[in-house]
Amino acid sequence: MHDVYQFVSGPLAWVAFLLFIGGSLYRIIAMLAEVKEKEPFIFTYMSLKYSLRSILHWITPFATYNWRRNPVLTVVTFVFHICLFACPIFLLAHVTLWDEAWDIRWWTLPDAVADVMTVIVIACCLFFLIRRVTQREVKFVTYPSDYVILGIVAAPFLTGFLAYHQWFTYPVFMILHVLAGEVMLAAIPFTRLSHMLFSPFTRAYMGSEFGVIRKSKDY
Amino acid sequence: MKKGMTIIAGAFFLAAFMVLSVQSQEDMAEVDPSVFMNPQRPAAVFKHDEHNETAGIEECNECHHVYEDGKLLEYESSEDMRCGDCHGLEAEGNMPSLVKAFHGNCKGCHEKQKGGPIMCGECHVR
Repeated sequence: MHDVYQFVSGPLAWVAFLLFIGGSLYRIIAMLAEVKEKEPFIFTYMSLKYSLRSILHWITPFATYNWRRNPVLTVVTFVFHICLFACPIFLLAHVTLWDEAWDIRWWTLPDAVADVMTVIVIACCLFFLIRRVTQREVKFVTYPSDYVILGIVAAPFLTGFLAYHQWFTYPVFMILHVLAGEVMLAAIPFTRLSHMLFSPFTRAYMGSEFGVIRKSKDY
Repeated sequence: MKKGMTIIAGAFFLAAFMVLSVQSQEDMAEVDPSVFMNPQRPAAVFKHDEHNETAGIEECNECHHVYEDGKLLEYESSEDMRCGDCHGLEAEGNMPSLVKAFHGNCKGCHEKQKGGPIMCGECHVR
């Protein structure tokens, strides 16, 4: 277990972060290069004002027509994404590892709060799963890979929860937790999780096209 | 009568003191967490004598180190002090915080020795 943990938390962590950062840069640069080659005209009407107007509306709950149309989904989506990011980034155990490895540290959540946030993330994943299976309009645009991606996102939280509470065999779930987190990081640039990278660009483009060309709102 | 009571009370306190002082290292089962205001994890499991027997540690200063101006004093030892006498709750200059000192001293050595607990929950056992 000693060697396995050393390996997953050492060399494998490097691989995961390199894939995440390198892959993300590659995907963004490749996307911009593709736009430049196929639709360079887009750059002529990109507008900072309309880009920010669109992004700000879409990251505010109920600030767009679409967010108001399905309030339950909107609340779940926002709560999910806030917990998904805040919990691992501000987790005391994670910051402790950053501090030990790089001598950098920042504000942390109380463990009890992070525990609740973890349960929220898992519950939201279940909500998304049930929604995918039961809602016809969602089922229609669902690929098998979407279930895999949902599993990839839920896994670090599920294993993290079990490791934190030390249920079942602690070392096994601790190692699985590290692995699950690494799989998720590495999967971000190369799966639909890449909406994390592309959503600001999508909104900037939509906002600019609606604002400058169509003279209308995109929210 | 009054004198007898005083002697009994004195003997009782002496016995209590002896029991408490004997209970220091041999019976130590965890790292004393009392200095931490709001500990987030259970106290780290640490059986002093059992640990040193397993790890084959003879010298106190293998763990009870003394640093001066950032340098380890090889022949100095600090087992007569509490870790928190030097290490504060926050880092000060070169000196790591108490939490980081504990983690570094325990986990750091376990990593080097390729033995002993290195995952959070192996020491902070619920």
